[in-house]
Amino acid sequence: MIQVDYFWKTIILLALGTMAIRFSIIAVSGKITISDRLKEVFSFIPAAVIPAIIAPMVFYHEGSVEVLHGKERLIVLLIATVICYKTKSMLATVSLGLVLLYFTKMI
Amino acid sequence: MLPITTGIIPFGLVMGTVCSEAQLTLLQSIGMNLFIFAGASQLASVDLMGGQTETIVVVATGLIINLRFMLYSAALSPVVRNSSFLTKLASAYCLTDQNYAVMSAHQGVLSNNRDIIRFYFGASVCMIVAWHMSVIAGYTFGNFAPISWSLEYAVPLSFVALVIPSLKGKKFIYVAVFSSLFSIVLNGLPYNLGLIFTALLGIALGAFLTRDKVLK
Repeated sequence: MIQVDYFWKTIILLALGTMAIRFSIIAVSGKITISDRLKEVFSFIPAAVIPAIIAPMVFYHEGSVEVLHGKERLIVLLIATVICYKTKSMLATVSLGLVLLYFTKMI
Repeated sequence: MLPITTGIIPFGLVMGTVCSEAQLTLLQSIGMNLFIFAGASQLASVDLMGGQTETIVVVATGLIINLRFMLYSAALSPVVRNSSFLTKLASAYCLTDQNYAVMSAHQGVLSNNRDIIRFYFGASVCMIVAWHMSVIAGYTFGNFAPISWSLEYAVPLSFVALVIPSLKGKKFIYVAVFSSLFSIVLNGLPYNLGLIFTALLGIALGAFLTRDKVLK
Protein backbone atom coordinates (compact mmCIF):
# COMPACT_ATOMS: atom_id res chain seq x y z
CA MET A 1 0.00 0.00 0.00
CA ILE A 2 1.43 3.40 -1.04
CA GLN A 3 1.31 6.06 1.69
CA VAL A 4 -0.93 9.02 0.90
CA ASP A 5 1.50 11.87 1.79
CA TYR A 6 4.36 10.23 -0.04
CA PHE A 7 2.16 9.58 -3.06
CA TRP A 8 0.99 13.17 -3.49
CA LYS A 9 4.40 14.71 -2.78
CA THR A 10 5.96 12.55 -5.49
CA ILE A 11 3.12 13.09 -7.96
CA ILE A 12 3.12 16.89 -7.59
CA LEU A 13 6.91 17.12 -8.03
CA LEU A 14 6.81 14.87 -11.08
CA ALA A 15 3.88 16.85 -12.49
CA LEU A 16 5.73 20.17 -12.10
CA GLY A 17 8.93 18.79 -13.62
CA THR A 18 7.05 17.24 -16.54
CA MET A 19 5.22 20.49 -17.24
CA ALA A 20 8.56 22.34 -17.17
CA ILE A 21 9.99 19.95 -19.81
CA ARG A 22 6.87 20.28 -21.99
CA PHE A 23 6.92 24.06 -21.74
CA SER A 24 10.71 24.45 -22.11
CA ILE A 25 11.22 25.05 -25.83
CA ILE A 26 7.71 26.46 -26.35
CA ALA A 27 8.38 29.05 -23.62
CA VAL A 28 11.49 30.38 -25.37
CA SER A 29 9.97 30.27 -28.86
CA GLY A 30 10.12 33.69 -30.46
CA LYS A 31 13.17 34.58 -28.41
CA ILE A 32 15.56 31.73 -29.10
CA THR A 33 15.63 29.62 -32.25
CA ILE A 34 16.50 25.97 -31.75
CA SER A 35 18.91 24.82 -34.42
CA ASP A 36 18.05 21.91 -36.69
CA ARG A 37 21.08 20.10 -35.34
CA LEU A 38 19.75 20.26 -31.77
CA LYS A 39 16.33 19.06 -32.97
CA GLU A 40 18.08 16.16 -34.68
CA VAL A 41 19.82 15.23 -31.42
CA PHE A 42 16.48 15.54 -29.57
CA SER A 43 14.95 13.09 -32.04
CA PHE A 44 17.10 10.34 -30.52
CA ILE A 45 15.60 10.79 -27.04
CA PRO A 46 12.78 8.21 -27.40
CA ALA A 47 15.15 5.60 -28.88
CA ALA A 48 17.67 6.19 -26.07
CA VAL A 49 15.22 6.29 -23.16
CA ILE A 50 12.32 3.90 -23.77
CA PRO A 51 14.36 0.72 -24.49
CA ALA A 52 16.36 1.43 -21.32
CA ILE A 53 13.12 1.21 -19.32
CA ILE A 54 11.77 -1.91 -21.01
CA ALA A 55 14.91 -4.05 -21.30
CA PRO A 56 15.82 -4.51 -17.60
CA MET A 57 12.13 -4.80 -16.66
CA VAL A 58 11.69 -7.77 -18.99
CA PHE A 59 15.19 -9.28 -18.85
CA TYR A 60 15.30 -9.59 -15.06
CA HIS A 61 11.74 -10.79 -14.63
CA GLU A 62 11.68 -14.27 -13.14
CA GLY A 63 9.59 -16.38 -15.46
CA SER A 64 7.88 -19.65 -14.78
CA VAL A 65 8.34 -21.76 -17.91
CA GLU A 66 11.15 -24.29 -17.46
CA VAL A 67 11.92 -24.99 -21.12
CA LEU A 68 12.39 -21.28 -21.74
CA HIS A 69 14.51 -20.86 -18.59
CA GLY A 70 12.28 -18.12 -17.28
CA LYS A 71 12.89 -15.91 -20.29
CA GLU A 72 9.49 -16.30 -21.93
CA ARG A 73 8.72 -12.62 -21.38
CA LEU A 74 11.85 -11.66 -23.28
CA ILE A 75 10.98 -13.94 -26.19
CA VAL A 76 7.39 -12.69 -26.32
CA LEU A 77 8.68 -9.11 -26.23
CA LEU A 78 10.90 -9.73 -29.26
CA ILE A 79 7.94 -11.23 -31.14
CA ALA A 80 5.79 -8.27 -30.05
CA THR A 81 8.43 -5.90 -31.44
CA VAL A 82 8.07 -7.56 -34.85
CA ILE A 83 4.25 -7.44 -34.55
CA CYS A 84 4.43 -3.74 -33.69
CA TYR A 85 6.78 -3.02 -36.59
CA LYS A 86 4.43 -4.77 -39.03
CA THR A 87 1.10 -3.48 -37.71
CA LYS A 88 2.09 -0.08 -36.22
CA SER A 89 -0.73 -0.70 -33.77
CA MET A 90 -0.54 -0.47 -29.99
CA LEU A 91 -3.78 -2.42 -29.68
CA ALA A 92 -2.42 -5.34 -31.72
CA THR A 93 0.96 -5.26 -29.94
CA VAL A 94 -0.48 -5.26 -26.42
CA SER A 95 -3.29 -7.74 -26.98
CA LEU A 96 -1.29 -10.26 -29.06
CA GLY A 97 1.63 -9.96 -26.63
CA LEU A 98 -0.59 -10.77 -23.65
CA VAL A 99 -2.20 -13.70 -25.47
CA LEU A 100 1.23 -15.08 -26.47
CA LEU A 101 2.50 -14.81 -22.89
CA TYR A 102 -0.61 -16.58 -21.67
CA PHE A 103 0.05 -19.46 -24.05
CA THR A 104 3.69 -19.82 -23.04
CA LYS A 105 2.42 -20.77 -19.59
CA MET A 106 0.68 -23.79 -21.09
CA ILE A 107 3.84 -25.24 -22.63
CA MET B 1 -9.41 10.55 -34.48
CA LEU B 2 -9.54 6.78 -34.65
CA PRO B 3 -5.78 6.28 -35.16
CA ILE B 4 -4.97 8.21 -31.99
CA THR B 5 -7.57 6.64 -29.76
CA THR B 6 -6.56 3.11 -30.77
CA GLY B 7 -3.15 3.99 -29.36
CA ILE B 8 -4.47 5.77 -26.29
CA ILE B 9 -7.24 3.43 -25.18
CA PRO B 10 -5.12 0.30 -24.61
CA PHE B 11 -2.48 2.45 -22.91
CA GLY B 12 -5.12 4.00 -20.64
CA LEU B 13 -6.51 0.56 -19.82
CA VAL B 14 -3.02 -0.58 -18.82
CA MET B 15 -2.59 2.56 -16.69
CA GLY B 16 -5.91 2.03 -14.92
CA THR B 17 -5.19 -1.64 -14.30
CA VAL B 18 -1.79 -0.86 -12.80
CA CYS B 19 -3.34 1.80 -10.54
CA SER B 20 -5.90 -0.62 -9.18
CA GLU B 21 -3.27 -3.34 -8.68
CA ALA B 22 -1.16 -0.84 -6.69
CA GLN B 23 -4.27 -0.25 -4.54
CA LEU B 24 -4.46 3.46 -5.36
CA THR B 25 -7.85 5.04 -4.79
CA LEU B 26 -9.85 6.19 -7.81
CA LEU B 27 -9.24 9.80 -6.75
CA GLN B 28 -5.45 9.23 -6.63
CA SER B 29 -5.53 7.60 -10.06
CA ILE B 30 -7.54 10.41 -11.65
CA GLY B 31 -5.46 13.08 -9.88
CA MET B 32 -2.21 11.58 -11.10
CA ASN B 33 -3.54 11.34 -14.65
CA LEU B 34 -4.71 14.91 -14.61
CA PHE B 35 -1.57 16.45 -13.09
CA ILE B 36 1.14 14.48 -14.85
CA PHE B 37 -0.72 13.40 -18.01
CA ALA B 38 2.23 11.29 -19.20
CA GLY B 39 1.45 7.59 -19.04
CA ALA B 40 4.90 6.05 -19.38
CA SER B 41 6.36 8.03 -16.47
CA GLN B 42 3.26 7.33 -14.37
CA LEU B 43 3.54 3.58 -14.92
CA ALA B 44 7.18 3.66 -13.86
CA SER B 45 6.50 5.82 -10.82
CA VAL B 46 3.61 3.68 -9.57
CA ASP B 47 5.91 0.68 -9.86
CA LEU B 48 8.73 2.45 -7.95
CA MET B 49 6.40 3.86 -5.29
CA GLY B 50 5.10 0.33 -4.70
CA GLY B 51 8.66 -0.49 -3.60
CA GLN B 52 8.83 2.57 -1.29
CA THR B 53 11.53 4.15 -3.46
CA GLU B 54 12.75 7.58 -2.32
CA THR B 55 10.82 10.49 -3.82
CA ILE B 56 13.88 11.96 -5.53
CA VAL B 57 14.61 8.68 -7.33
CA VAL B 58 11.01 8.33 -8.50
CA VAL B 59 10.91 11.93 -9.74
CA ALA B 60 14.32 11.71 -11.46
CA THR B 61 13.31 8.48 -13.22
CA GLY B 62 9.99 9.98 -14.30
CA LEU B 63 11.68 13.09 -15.66
CA ILE B 64 14.21 11.09 -17.67
CA ILE B 65 11.31 9.13 -19.17
CA ASN B 66 9.59 12.42 -19.99
CA LEU B 67 12.70 14.03 -21.47
CA ARG B 68 11.29 13.18 -24.89
CA PHE B 69 8.71 15.93 -24.42
CA MET B 70 11.55 18.35 -25.08
CA LEU B 71 11.62 16.97 -28.63
CA TYR B 72 7.86 17.50 -28.94
CA SER B 73 8.13 20.96 -27.39
CA ALA B 74 10.73 21.89 -30.00
CA ALA B 75 8.48 20.54 -32.77
CA LEU B 76 5.48 22.59 -31.64
CA SER B 77 7.36 25.78 -30.78
CA PRO B 78 7.38 27.36 -34.28
CA VAL B 79 3.60 26.87 -34.51
CA VAL B 80 2.71 28.68 -31.27
CA ARG B 81 5.55 31.22 -31.45
CA ASN B 82 3.18 34.18 -31.81
CA SER B 83 0.38 32.85 -29.61
CA SER B 84 -0.60 34.14 -26.18
CA PHE B 85 1.08 32.87 -23.02
CA LEU B 86 -2.02 30.87 -22.07
CA THR B 87 -2.22 29.18 -25.47
CA LYS B 88 1.45 28.28 -25.17
CA LEU B 89 0.92 26.86 -21.69
CA ALA B 90 -2.17 24.88 -22.74
CA SER B 91 -0.45 23.54 -25.86
CA ALA B 92 2.51 22.43 -23.73
CA TYR B 93 0.22 20.56 -21.33
CA CYS B 94 -1.40 18.72 -24.26
CA LEU B 95 1.90 17.38 -25.69
CA THR B 96 1.84 13.58 -25.89
CA ASP B 97 3.49 10.88 -27.98
CA GLN B 98 0.28 10.35 -29.93
CA ASN B 99 -0.29 14.05 -30.46
CA TYR B 100 3.24 14.46 -31.77
CA ALA B 101 2.70 11.53 -34.15
CA VAL B 102 -0.55 13.03 -35.47
CA MET B 103 1.00 16.48 -35.88
CA SER B 104 3.94 15.04 -37.82
CA ALA B 105 1.58 13.06 -40.06
CA HIS B 106 -0.56 16.11 -40.90
CA GLN B 107 2.22 18.66 -41.24
CA GLY B 108 1.82 19.04 -44.99
CA VAL B 109 -1.99 19.22 -44.98
CA LEU B 110 -2.54 22.28 -42.79
CA SER B 111 -1.06 25.44 -44.22
CA ASN B 112 -1.20 28.17 -41.57
CA ASN B 113 -0.41 28.16 -37.87
CA ARG B 114 -3.95 29.09 -36.82
CA ASP B 115 -5.36 25.99 -38.52
CA ILE B 116 -2.63 23.82 -37.04
CA ILE B 117 -3.37 25.13 -33.53
CA ARG B 118 -7.11 24.47 -33.96
CA PHE B 119 -6.44 21.00 -35.26
CA TYR B 120 -4.00 20.39 -32.42
CA PHE B 121 -6.41 21.40 -29.68
CA GLY B 122 -9.24 19.44 -31.31
CA ALA B 123 -7.08 16.32 -31.35
CA SER B 124 -5.96 17.01 -27.77
CA VAL B 125 -9.52 17.21 -26.41
CA CYS B 126 -10.31 13.83 -28.02
CA MET B 127 -7.17 12.36 -26.50
CA ILE B 128 -7.78 13.72 -23.02
CA VAL B 129 -11.34 12.39 -22.98
CA ALA B 130 -10.30 8.99 -24.37
CA TRP B 131 -7.38 8.80 -21.93
CA HIS B 132 -9.35 9.48 -18.75
CA MET B 133 -12.26 7.25 -19.80
CA SER B 134 -9.97 4.33 -20.56
CA VAL B 135 -8.03 4.79 -17.30
CA ILE B 136 -11.27 4.61 -15.33
CA ALA B 137 -12.38 1.56 -17.34
CA GLY B 138 -9.01 -0.13 -16.74
CA TYR B 139 -9.17 0.73 -13.05
CA THR B 140 -12.58 -0.94 -12.76
CA PHE B 141 -11.56 -3.93 -14.86
CA GLY B 142 -8.21 -4.39 -13.09
CA ASN B 143 -10.00 -5.21 -9.87
CA PHE B 144 -11.38 -8.46 -11.19
CA ALA B 145 -8.93 -9.56 -13.93
CA PRO B 146 -7.32 -12.92 -12.99
CA ILE B 147 -3.61 -12.86 -12.10
CA SER B 148 -2.90 -15.56 -14.71
CA TRP B 149 -3.58 -12.98 -17.44
CA SER B 150 -0.33 -11.18 -16.41
CA LEU B 151 -1.83 -7.79 -17.23
CA GLU B 152 1.24 -6.01 -15.82
CA TYR B 153 3.13 -7.33 -18.86
CA ALA B 154 1.06 -4.89 -20.92
CA VAL B 155 3.39 -2.15 -19.58
CA PRO B 156 6.54 -3.16 -21.52
CA LEU B 157 4.36 -4.12 -24.50
CA SER B 158 2.81 -0.67 -24.68
CA PHE B 159 6.29 0.88 -24.35
CA VAL B 160 7.35 -1.10 -27.43
CA ALA B 161 4.44 0.47 -29.30
CA LEU B 162 5.61 3.91 -28.11
CA VAL B 163 9.19 3.55 -29.28
CA ILE B 164 8.80 1.72 -32.62
CA PRO B 165 7.26 4.69 -34.49
CA SER B 166 10.18 6.91 -33.37
CA LEU B 167 12.78 4.63 -34.99
CA LYS B 168 13.01 6.40 -38.33
CA GLY B 169 16.14 4.75 -39.67
CA LYS B 170 19.12 2.53 -38.97
CA LYS B 171 20.80 5.04 -36.64
CA PHE B 172 17.75 5.11 -34.40
CA ILE B 173 17.69 1.31 -34.30
CA TYR B 174 21.39 1.25 -33.32
CA VAL B 175 20.64 3.64 -30.45
CA ALA B 176 17.64 1.57 -29.32
CA VAL B 177 19.64 -1.69 -29.37
CA PHE B 178 22.52 -0.02 -27.53
CA SER B 179 20.16 1.31 -24.85
CA SER B 180 18.50 -2.08 -24.39
CA LEU B 181 21.81 -3.89 -23.88
CA PHE B 182 23.51 -1.18 -21.83
CA SER B 183 20.55 -0.80 -19.48
CA ILE B 184 20.65 -4.54 -18.78
CA VAL B 185 24.36 -4.30 -17.96
CA LEU B 186 23.89 -1.28 -15.67
CA ASN B 187 20.77 -2.61 -13.99
CA GLY B 188 22.54 -3.20 -10.66
CA LEU B 189 23.36 0.49 -10.07
CA PRO B 190 21.52 2.16 -7.18
CA TYR B 191 18.96 4.97 -7.50
CA ASN B 192 18.01 3.88 -11.00
CA LEU B 193 21.25 5.50 -12.20
CA GLY B 194 21.49 2.81 -14.89
CA LEU B 195 18.52 4.37 -16.69
CA ILE B 196 19.94 7.87 -16.43
CA PHE B 197 23.43 6.88 -17.68
CA THR B 198 22.01 4.76 -20.49
CA ALA B 199 19.65 7.52 -21.61
CA LEU B 200 22.42 10.13 -21.73
CA LEU B 201 24.87 7.77 -23.48
CA GLY B 202 22.16 6.75 -25.94
CA ILE B 203 21.48 10.38 -26.87
CA ALA B 204 25.25 10.98 -27.16
CA LEU B 205 25.50 7.97 -29.48
CA GLY B 206 22.71 9.41 -31.62
CA ALA B 207 24.55 12.74 -31.79
CA PHE B 208 27.78 10.92 -32.68
CA LEU B 209 26.15 8.85 -35.45
CA THR B 210 24.73 11.97 -37.11
CA ARG B 211 27.89 14.11 -36.68
CA ASP B 212 28.79 14.10 -40.40
CA LYS B 213 25.93 16.39 -41.31
CA VAL B 214 27.42 19.18 -39.21
CA LEU B 215 30.60 19.21 -41.25
CA LYS B 216 28.78 19.66 -44.57
